[in-house]
Amino acid sequence: MNFSLFLLAVFDGIAYAALVFMVALGLTLIFGVLRILNVAHGSLYAIGAYVTASVGAAIFAAGFAPFLAFPLMLIAAALIGVVLGGPIEYLLLRRIYHRPEVLQLLVTFAVFMILEDVQRQIWGTQPYFEATALQLLGNVQVLGVYYTVYQLIFLPLVALTVLIGLRLFLRRALAGKLIMAVTEDREAAQAIGINADRVFFLTFVVGAALAALGGALASPTTSVLPGIGADMIVLSFAVVATAGLGQIEGAAVAALLIGLGRSFAVYLMPELQVLVPYLIMLSVLLIRPEGLFGRPGARKI
Amino acid sequence: MLELRQLDAAIGNVTILRNVGFMLAEGDTVALIGRNGAGKTTLLRSIMGFTDVTGSIRFAGQEMTSLAPAHRPGLGIGYAPEDRRLFSAFTVEENLKLPVQVAGLGAAEQAQRLERVYHILPELREMAARPAGNVSGGQGKMVALGRALMLGTRLIMLDEPFQGLAPALARRYAEALRTLRDTDQNVALFITESNPALLRSLADRTLVIERGEVTENLLEPEGQGSDRADSTR
Repeated sequence: MNFSLFLLAVFDGIAYAALVFMVALGLTLIFGVLRILNVAHGSLYAIGAYVTASVGAAIFAAGFAPFLAFPLMLIAAALIGVVLGGPIEYLLLRRIYHRPEVLQLLVTFAVFMILEDVQRQIWGTQPYFEATALQLLGNVQVLGVYYTVYQLIFLPLVALTVLIGLRLFLRRALAGKLIMAVTEDREAAQAIGINADRVFFLTFVVGAALAALGGALASPTTSVLPGIGADMIVLSFAVVATAGLGQIEGAAVAALLIGLGRSFAVYLMPELQVLVPYLIMLSVLLIRPEGLFGRPGARKI
Repeated sequence: MLELRQLDAAIGNVTILRNVGFMLAEGDTVALIGRNGAGKTTLLRSIMGFTDVTGSIRFAGQEMTSLAPAHRPGLGIGYAPEDRRLFSAFTVEENLKLPVQVAGLGAAEQAQRLERVYHILPELREMAARPAGNVSGGQGKMVALGRALMLGTRLIMLDEPFQGLAPALARRYAEALRTLRDTDQNVALFITESNPALLRSLADRTLVIERGEVTENLLEPEGQGSDRADSTR
């Protein structure tokens, strides 16, 4: 492997890690608070990508300014969080918090299946590709290798901003403190008057919006087509499990590990590309079943 | 002020409390004595809304059984569970302030309540900036008491507060309760304990709980503060 290929693998890995991190972050946040592994998270990612790509194509065709691609991503993510995430929590999950985990998993899996079909109904099976945001930022040359600014700088920057922003929100804002309190001890939180139902709702909407934001950010870099939600949910599960459930900073490290592992596999052993993330997860879990940063029995975010 | 009638409580399919009835008046200090597993914690958790109950729990003229758990502390109830159960990521002072922030009290009222806690538990002021996850078990109990005081303007419920406290700290804790009693004659204190000796000097009345049934302990002398001692089995 020559140096240029090595650099390309690193850049690919970082860009991909930034996307997976965003989705895994939502997943781990929801798990930390609601204690539900939300399989439907993958659909929210896919719908974020579909909405951004199709609406983007429509408005740019209508002659709107290309820079609108960026606010569009944010708006799409927030809307999906509220319009889809809100009802999923309020109408479905709220009824099953005290039910066995298997049932919870089945319900979110059912939501995932339903949303997969909804996507096919709305967007069909033809791939969508809308890369205005990517083209707008152009390319950069690093040590002789050309790479898109969007993937090398913008995506990691957004991921870092989301990470720091979420940490500050959880640490400083009252709503964030309530999320932290409910995560650590739901009953003790209620015993000081915290409305756990409201905190669950807020957390799910924020988590869903993060998944959709991941999809929106991914859309300029890839064709949006059926199945991307399933790929992403499995991969972000691997990230969350590797980091330790409920670990926010840990998810960033695990996403980098898995993103880099995957991209190096693409260049060195393409046939192992799909396998490598799970090999990483498996080897971590064999040594530390609670994940790299998880603590057995602890419940913190 | 607090009145329980024919209260049954279950956790899952197991009935823990049977036909519990008693009253707490304003300013009462009542001890609930019982062995481990007798139902002390379940009784307090039922008052806070964490179990499935039948029967009646009235507080300050309001029926509470249909009230969501999160709406009960705002009526003026402070509760310190058996394990201290602090929020470890927050500082001691953040732990103290969170209940009144949640309740949406004004800044002046928040500051006043915090001062009240620091008056009763001056040691908390010194550890205000420390992460609650780093304080010792005994100090944690003090913080948990302080947190209960923030909302507990009418009723404070302490679940086995002396459990696991070193003797010096237990004395300090009891002293803090006396300071509280001296500064606020109206708040009612409801304290569970497995060792009756620890509460003898504090409580006006003692209730005994055995296998989920509560009885008034008539052997204990009636205290000054308790003008009402109605009790059914």
